[in-house]
Amino acid sequence: MEQFIQQILNGLTLGSIYGLVALGLTLVYGILHVPNFAHGALYMVGAYVCYFAMVELGLNYWVAMAAAAAVVALLSVLCERLVFHPLRHAPPIHDKIAAIGILLFLEAVVQMHWGADFRRIPTPYTEILRLGELTLPAQRLLIIGGAFALMGALHLYLKKTMTGLTIIAMAQNREGAFLVGIDANRVAMMTFAIAGALAAIAASLFAPINLVYPAMGHLVLLKAFVIIILGGMGSIPGAIIGGLIIGFAEALGGFYISSTYKDVIAFVLLVVILSIKPTGLFTKGVR
Amino acid sequence: MLKLEGVDAKYDSFKALDGISMSVEPGELVVLLGANGAGKTTLFNTISGLMKPAAGRITIDGKDVTGRKPSALVAAGVVQCPEGRKLFPGMSVLKNLRLGGYVHRRDRAGMNRTLEQVLAMFPILDEKKDEPAGSLSGGQQQMVAVGRALMGRPKLLMLDEPSLGLAPLVVKQVFERVEQINAEGTTILLAEQNAYAALKIANRAYVIENGRLTMQGDREEMLGNEAVRKAYIGA
Ligand SMILES: Nc1ncnc2c1ncn2[C@@H]1O[C@H](COP(=O)(O)OP(=O)(O)OP(=O)(O)O)[C@@H](O)[C@H]1O
Ligand SMILES: [Mg+2]
Repeated sequence: MEQFIQQILNGLTLGSIYGLVALGLTLVYGILHVPNFAHGALYMVGAYVCYFAMVELGLNYWVAMAAAAAVVALLSVLCERLVFHPLRHAPPIHDKIAAIGILLFLEAVVQMHWGADFRRIPTPYTEILRLGELTLPAQRLLIIGGAFALMGALHLYLKKTMTGLTIIAMAQNREGAFLVGIDANRVAMMTFAIAGALAAIAASLFAPINLVYPAMGHLVLLKAFVIIILGGMGSIPGAIIGGLIIGFAEALGGFYISSTYKDVIAFVLLVVILSIKPTGLFTKGVR
Repeated sequence: MLKLEGVDAKYDSFKALDGISMSVEPGELVVLLGANGAGKTTLFNTISGLMKPAAGRITIDGKDVTGRKPSALVAAGVVQCPEGRKLFPGMSVLKNLRLGGYVHRRDRAGMNRTLEQVLAMFPILDEKKDEPAGSLSGGQQQMVAVGRALMGRPKLLMLDEPSLGLAPLVVKQVFERVEQINAEGTTILLAEQNAYAALKIANRAYVIENGRLTMQGDREEMLGNEAVRKAYIGA
């Protein structure tokens, strides 16, 4: 039983990270219909900025996380302005190729500066809480708490503020949004900024219990795509719940089935769910 | 108020509007009559800034707005209630209406006042205000669309076939509201195929065919015009 609860905790940790990354991906998809393959690279850059600020500059963990969020938000907006915006009238394949271009570019830049070695961010909270047989590392609790707080904040922002509503409006009816005077550029920049910040925060939360290296975004990105396909492209609750499903499946599958194959589980689940419900779990779109 | 001079619009190489010159004066209710595919929606979208004109000039109160973004037109007081409504279907009626007032978002008091007026004009929307707009009936959705446009506090309200697909009784209600909005001081440009009902509440009308304006006149002239009666009223 303790083992099981321990794995649930691990699942929640993974699920909240995946959820944050998938949220950004789904928001961008919802308004631009671009599958942003560069999103994993933004996640990776977030981890490196956090690493740089904490290890090389010696800053506090939270300051480093805020810096990562700010830098990656800016970088994400630049991608939109310099790459996706000029391609807005081009066929969709151009966006996809460009996104892969950004991905390769960012990885190359990071590798040029930091090399391909694995790096570590020191765990700022090393305490381990014990509840009976359960061990609860503080960093994991921080990840779960932080991720859910952020999702809650994003939910309130999107549902309760006029600027947040413009993002949903743009996703639900683009022309309708134009006709009430919503500016497409503003919404696109805001969405990319939010997506970038979420990815960077996810990376900064996760990095202390993981490794930092140039290709670290690949698997996360693939899983985030699995999640938003599962959850329904553009669906916000779909991204959160899909993230948790994949997180739990991976933690439990990795423990009870085979840890070697834990990264395959997400994809097996994708095939299974899509063969039962081909449109994804949440098909109503952004709500 | 609104003036077009020699406006052309194209879809790729297809010229959908050809030398449109027209004007709408403050306080008027002007009807744009045209059959399917005549170019009514294209004309509205060109005025609204969703499409850029290929030639010509559009002015609002003497100010050149040719080629400006839709948000600039809304800010200038030109608001379109589009064909097919283009609501935000997953959002509540209330959020749809509030988003209609997006350009006035900093003026909360004014926005609430307009909202009250809109809900008073369409009491059914008050009842349904928390329901997703997409779950309403066609007629109710049309009211949300008109209400949303009114939330932008238009000086010129452009209505693109608001009666399309509605039951006759509902059509009558919609036209009554349109007449009321005009009587309360909003200038209106109304695109319709439902010529008789539209002309009854109009001051003037234009007829558009294949992207060109072919006829114009005041209500009596149009109602009495043999060609108009034949083509659009069927009598
Ligand atoms: N997106 C588009 N691409 C290419 N051609 C278009 C497009 N939209 C409209 N057209 C063409 O432009 C012409 C004018 O269309 P428009 O929609 O403006 O007519 P309308 O008067 O609004 O018709 P309806 O009464 O059916 O709404 C038509 O010939 C139509 O086929
Ligand atoms: Mg039309």
